[in-house]
This record gives sequence, structure tokens and C-alpha cells, in this order.
Amino acid sequence: MRGWLLPSLALLVIAAFAGSLLVGPAGLAPLAVLDGLFGLRSETVVLVVQEIRLPRSLLAATIGATLGLAGAALQGYLRNPLAEPGLIGISGAAALGAVLTLYTGLSAAFSLALPIGGMAGAVCAVLLVQALAGRDAGTLSLILAGVAVTSFAAALTSLALNLAPSPFAALEIVFWLLGSLSGRSMEHVALAVPFMAIGWLLLASCARGLDALTLGEDAARSLGFDLRALRRRLILGTALSVGAATAVAGAIGFVGLVIPHLLRPLVGYRPGALLPVSALGGAVLLLLADMAVRVVTPGQELKLGVVTALIGAPFFFWLVVQSRREAT
Amino acid sequence: MPRARAVLVIAAFAILACLQPGAAGAADGERPARVVSLNLCTDQLVLELLERERIASISFLGADPRYSAVAGRARGIPRNHGRAEEVLRLDPDLVLAGTYTSRATVALLRRLDYRVVEMAPPRDIPAVRAQIRRIADVLGVSKRGEALIRAFDRKLRAAAPAGAGARPSAVIYEANGIAVGDGELADAAVEAAGLSNLAAEMGLRGPSPLSLEHLVVARPDVLILQNHGENAPSQATHLLDHPALRHLRERTAVAIVPEALWTCGGPQLAEAVARLAEARRAVQREGG
Repeated sequence: MRGWLLPSLALLVIAAFAGSLLVGPAGLAPLAVLDGLFGLRSETVVLVVQEIRLPRSLLAATIGATLGLAGAALQGYLRNPLAEPGLIGISGAAALGAVLTLYTGLSAAFSLALPIGGMAGAVCAVLLVQALAGRDAGTLSLILAGVAVTSFAAALTSLALNLAPSPFAALEIVFWLLGSLSGRSMEHVALAVPFMAIGWLLLASCARGLDALTLGEDAARSLGFDLRALRRRLILGTALSVGAATAVAGAIGFVGLVIPHLLRPLVGYRPGALLPVSALGGAVLLLLADMAVRVVTPGQELKLGVVTALIGAPFFFWLVVQSRREAT
Repeated sequence: MPRARAVLVIAAFAILACLQPGAAGAADGERPARVVSLNLCTDQLVLELLERERIASISFLGADPRYSAVAGRARGIPRNHGRAEEVLRLDPDLVLAGTYTSRATVALLRRLDYRVVEMAPPRDIPAVRAQIRRIADVLGVSKRGEALIRAFDRKLRAAAPAGAGARPSAVIYEANGIAVGDGELADAAVEAAGLSNLAAEMGLRGPSPLSLEHLVVARPDVLILQNHGENAPSQATHLLDHPALRHLRERTAVAIVPEALWTCGGPQLAEAVARLAEARRAVQREGG
């Protein structure tokens, strides 16, 4: 089963990445884009491809991978199908942290402050949700804690933006609550990708521990897994990757929910094996969603969160119906 | 009956206003002596045209150098935020307002029989002249108004291109990736400076989003940016720092026009046109 899954997902990522480079208002021919990518065309084409489209595609792929991976890891660790960075408040709190550093001018003075703010917000959210819901949380308490953290973070984000000195800030609430890749540059890539990569490594290192955890905590412990170390790596990995991602693109929901659910049956319900395929799946989904916002309304782009919610919300409905059927 | 209602409304809004007898319904004088302006654009005209003793209040924006070209003259003049109670307390004999701002206040003042003159934002140069003339008449300083218009026209003539040669192209690019298209005052200023507004030629009307890709591909001769002063950080203004735009800035002439010069159609618009003409001349010199 798994033999073909990873390569085919990787191919999909490459195809979606190429497609993402080809889409844009300037309407460049595919060959021109290819040449532009390697700096072989006129300065204008090179500028459009290398400075405008490439950072956008890179961020869509890496942020999508982050959200898919973090969703899969959280679901495995909390043994709860609804654990997802957006739903349990990590993205919202990361956005708040980023907003606080950006609009106070801290990130203008010290650019790393932006991802650090996002990651600090994410750490706070994970710890808060865990404290509120307890370690082996039931679905209800986890979701309640997540809703509480999310709405509190959203309220504080709106408040901070309303109080921000810039006259544009209040209009940017939408960016932070729904997420967007519009106007992103290589500077954002350089700020976010290194932290995301460290986060991925930490999360990937949890794979075997998560597999063992399906047998129960005691069984996992008796197999020699240090559950506390596992938890630390998981929290840190999630916070680093989701925090950095949110700091440059806002809170993008549902990717971490939908992708692990879709792919779980294909890996035999093993949480460890789910991690890499969810990362690739998340990358594909966000690349496609970001192409959609550019194609559907080319003038004034939709926010990314709108598209992911349009895909994710019906899926959520289906999940609710499914769980009720199982309950009866 | 309207009088009784008026008193009630005042009482509800501001006790202070009730303490002043005859607060409402001041007589229409030839030369209003207590003028209140509620709008940034009327603020600037009032500050240009009227001696300060006759200005009872201007809006807080008119005193902000980021938005107002004559903020320096506003020192010591009380500020308002377009709220009815602020106006009633001052008992003005003339209130100037924009047609799009402080609508509730204007409606209330009209009901209370205050003299309110509204001003629509001008969209071209003749409308700017007409507006200066109208406000000067209303304020009873027609001569000063004519002098202001003459100075405005002198400056515009100096900025106009000499011959009917090829006109360099320009794009006004604002925060959030908004370009100014046809039918706007800024577009009229660009044309008056002898440049052609590329965004208008692309079919954009009014302020419209123009993607960074389009801008880079269009390659205007002059890139016109607004100066937001010491603007606080935001995503909207970060876009103007995008590496692609920085490259473009290195390759094209850049004209910086402070927001305060062309937000309103007043005499300060001529200064905006003069700066744009300077950029045009630089491009034409380079082009041979």
C-alpha cells in the first residue's frame, strides 16, 4: 500500500508546484516561466518568476506541509481526530504573537522577532489547551479548550490591530484570521522556512513514539519510550513549524484536519506512517488553494482561509454525521 | 415644534449647549465670524483663506501634517472629530462639511437650522478652481479666493509640458497594491504634469488593485509613490518594500508625492503637479 503512496504524492507536489509557478496575472508562457526561473529571460520575466511567484509557491508548499504534518502529529498524540492547529487555537495564538511583534515595530527593528512572536504564541496555545483539557483529553473538552483559546486570541488580535498606529492595521484583521500568501517575498521565505524545517525534524522524530502510543501509554512506556520527551518534541515541533508558518501567512485553517483524515486509511491507520504523507498532502492542498485564489478572483484575491474553509467545512459536516452514526 | 425637539436633542447630547441661550439657529451673516470645519478638505481651505480669529474649529485631520498641507497654521485652533456635540458647543454661524463625511452630524445640524455648506471632492482641475471660488464666496473672502486661484494657475502653467511631444508613462502605486486609475484627482494631477497615467490606460477606474506582476511587466517610466510620513508598520505598506518593487524603483524614475498634497482638491495640488513635472523632466532629459 505505502510503496506507491509516497512517490505519487511527491509527484503531485511537484506538479502542483509547477502549476503554481505558471499561474499569475502577468500571463507568462510556460517556457518563459521556466527560463525566468533560471534567470535566462528578460529582467522583467526573471523578476516576476523569481521574486513574486517563486516565494509564493515555496511558502504554499512549506506551510501546507507544516499544517498537514502538525495536524497528523497532534491527532496521533492526543488520539483525537479533531486535533488540528487551527481548531485547537495554535494558529490563532501564533497570529496574535506575530501581530504583536509586527505592528509595534519590533519586527522592523529586528526581523527575526516576527517568527519568534508567532512561535511564542503557538507554545502558549499548546500549553494552555493541554492545561485546560487535560492530558488524555476527550473530544469535547479538547474542542472547548480550542474554541476558547481561538476566540480569545482572535479577540486580542482584533484589539491589537484596532489600537495599532497604522491606519491600515484594522483592515488587516482579515489577513491574520484567514491567512493569505499575497505579496509575500523571499524575505518571508528566509524568515519562516528554517524554523519550519526544524519543526518538521522534531515532529518526524515522534513517528515511532506515536505508533507505540496507539497501544496505550503504559504499553508505550513498557516498550521503552520516554513519553515526556515525546511530548516535549511534539509541542516544540508543532510550535516552531506552525508558529513560523502563521507569522508570515496568517492563520490558515482546516488543512491539518482534512489531509490526515483523507490519508489515514491509505497508511493502515498508523500515525507514524501518516506523518510524511500528510506533509506532502498538505503541500498539495495549499498549493492548489493558493492557485485557486489567484484564478477565481484575479483582481482582488480571496483570502486563503476562505478556500480551505470551503473545502474543510463540508468535510467537518461529514465528520459530525459520521461520529453520530458511530455513537448510535 | 421643531424648536422643542431641537432643545430636547441638545439636552440629550450636551448639557453645555443648553447652558448657552440661543445656541441654535444663528443668523446668516455676510461674513461668518465663527466657522467650524468638519472635513479635512474644508479645513485646509479655511486655514488658507480665513484669519484665525474667525475659525472656531477644524477637524483633527486638518491639524495632522501627515494629511494636511497647512497643518502648521492649525496651532491653537480647537479640533473636532465631526461629532454634533462638539459643534453645538461652539455655536458656529457657518459649518463646512464634506459630502461623504460626518453625515449624521450634518443631518442633525440642518435640523437645528444651522447653516451648513457641503463640499464634494473635486475630480479634476477645473473643479478645484470652482471649489476654491465657492468656499471663498461663502466665507465672504472672494478676493482672497481669486488670488489663490491665480497663484494655483501660475504654478500649474509652470509645470505643464512645453510641447505636445511624447508623454512618459507613470503609475501611482499605493499601499496594499492599489493603483489610481481614471476619474480621480490624482489622475488629473498626473495628466496636468505631462505624464500619461498607465493605470488609466490599462482600463482601471478610480483606486483599483494592480498586481505587482502587472506593475513589473508594465514598466512605467515614472513610479509615483505616496509618502506616508513616518508611517507605522503594516502589511499594506510592507508591500511597497517587496524586493520586486525595490528592483523596479532602481530602474525607473521615482516621484514621491506626500499624501497631504493631493488627498484634497486645494491650492496645494499645484505643488503635487510641480513635483510630478520634475520627475517627467528628469525622464525626458535622460531619454535625450
